[in-house]
Amino acid sequence: MGAYITRRILSGALTVLVTTFAVAFLIHFMPGDPVRLLFAMSQTTSAEQIEEMRQELGLDRPWYEQYFMYMDRIVHGDWGTTIRGKQPVLQLLLVRVPNTVILAISALVVALLIGFPLGFYSAYKRGTPLDTIFMTTAILGVSIPHFWLGLMLMYLFAIRLNWLPVAGEGALNLVLPAFTLGLSQAAVIARLTRSSMIDILGQDFVRTARAKGLRETVVLYKHALRSGMVTIVAMLGLLFTYMMGGAVVIENVFAWNGVGRFSVEAIMERDYPVIQGFILMFAIVVVAVSVTMDIIYGMLDPRIKRS
Amino acid sequence: MTEQATTMTDLKNLEAQEDIARVGEFARFWRSLFRNPGARIGFVIVVVLVFVSLTAPWISPHEPLKMGVGPKLQPPGAEHLLGTDEFGRDLLSRMIYGARLTLIVGLVAVGISATAGVLVGLVAGYAGSMVENVLMRAIDVLFSFTDFLIALSAVAILGPSLKNAIIAVGIAGIPFYARVVHSAVLVEREKDYFLATEAVGAGHLRLIFNHLLPNVASPLLIIGTLGVATAILNAAGLSFLGLGAQPPSPEWGAMLSAGRQYLTRAPWVATFPGIAIAAVVLGFNLLGDGIREAIDPTQRRQRG
Repeated sequence: MGAYITRRILSGALTVLVTTFAVAFLIHFMPGDPVRLLFAMSQTTSAEQIEEMRQELGLDRPWYEQYFMYMDRIVHGDWGTTIRGKQPVLQLLLVRVPNTVILAISALVVALLIGFPLGFYSAYKRGTPLDTIFMTTAILGVSIPHFWLGLMLMYLFAIRLNWLPVAGEGALNLVLPAFTLGLSQAAVIARLTRSSMIDILGQDFVRTARAKGLRETVVLYKHALRSGMVTIVAMLGLLFTYMMGGAVVIENVFAWNGVGRFSVEAIMERDYPVIQGFILMFAIVVVAVSVTMDIIYGMLDPRIKRS
Repeated sequence: MTEQATTMTDLKNLEAQEDIARVGEFARFWRSLFRNPGARIGFVIVVVLVFVSLTAPWISPHEPLKMGVGPKLQPPGAEHLLGTDEFGRDLLSRMIYGARLTLIVGLVAVGISATAGVLVGLVAGYAGSMVENVLMRAIDVLFSFTDFLIALSAVAILGPSLKNAIIAVGIAGIPFYARVVHSAVLVEREKDYFLATEAVGAGHLRLIFNHLLPNVASPLLIIGTLGVATAILNAAGLSFLGLGAQPPSPEWGAMLSAGRQYLTRAPWVATFPGIAIAAVVLGFNLLGDGIREAIDPTQRRQRG
């Protein structure tokens, strides 16, 4: 167990480290002169001024020096300032990250609550018309773009029926975005659950339980269900990461004040320090949650716990 | 015969036997595929998409970018089958040309992902030891971010445009292909035909491209087809955010974004592109699932 935890943490740390490396040198991959990009300069800036800026930023130093300068800043909380308003990037991100994480987790809960039972029941009733209906719905769900679904749901519930608010903050505003994202992912979870449950239901221990004369409900809920849940729990980290990706777009649809919306604006404005910041922030959040969920899974799965 | 001639004959024999085995599997595959109703529907959708893309200039009633061919924001009717948008452009024409863009986006993005991913997977699986470790670790790091986040970051670096969105989505897909090919190579590498060909003295390049590659083709076909579906969704998502296709491009994701503001007045502007994306993605998903079922031996066994 200890070795497993250490491995996961090290692996996560490596991922974040590689990301810092990529992010530090990001500016060199971008088309255009780095100094110009950083300061969005006008045509009238002289060549000497540009050279001065270059030296000030340390862009002329060797790469390892640049990297250490960057890491030094990052670790001390200086993630740069936005190009326009000169506001501190880290603070702006920290305000918004909780909103995105809340959205992602809510959506994940919705997706699990809808998708898992659907997949589970489909596997049990495999081959029947019910199975076909459920799985057709699932494959449709996987194919429908979630941002379009959001628009359609918004039109239906917020505009036509006026049951829910269109945009803004607050719990009621979370319903539509979380439900939209969750519904899309529910289809994915349903398909995954169904295939793994089909395998489980075919296994010996299920057959044994039935042969022992246990009631069907007991076989299903006490034995098969447990195994099914383990498969899903194992994937929670990955599913959460998918949610974070989806949240970026959904935030845009519903004007939800999270990192996603902020990032997109930054990309449009070519606000380099913010771009650096959000890529790194995404990496940290995604890795932190994934590793945590993997460790929790490790504690649940006796094969890993006892090793 | 000289020793060298014997070796070459052995090699040719082994390769011929591989080819014969492969042809029989092919025929069986096609029959299984078309027995699946979902796969048939998917195939039809894809064929329709290709047809519309190729014949766009001839079947489109109007120019997709021409403004004012009809009154602004007119609902679907006889004159304009899908209505008009806020600039008086015919929606049906824009949808038809959008189909072309969608197909290109899907194919090119998957082309990029597959080429790079397969190369990485092949080299990693074949070379082993240090090379394999470094390559697959890099893939693992990429894999821990989902494809959309990678695509988003790539567009952040390259700048918003349709071309960059395609490249971004292409890069984002690399880990999938690399992983699948790498696993497949690890399996094939231990098989008799491969060991035999290696023993007879075939060189590295020949082994990789003539023997490993064709035999990892089946999983590639599956994820390639399904990959087109995800690529289209990701690219549409980027365009929707304004980071992909730019106006006045008739790309479906961009059209959805533009149609947002008219949701109350003219809901059709935002509805049809969404339906189109869903239909096309559904087609590739159905086809991909069908291919997977036709290839996967476990399924075939259960059918009888």
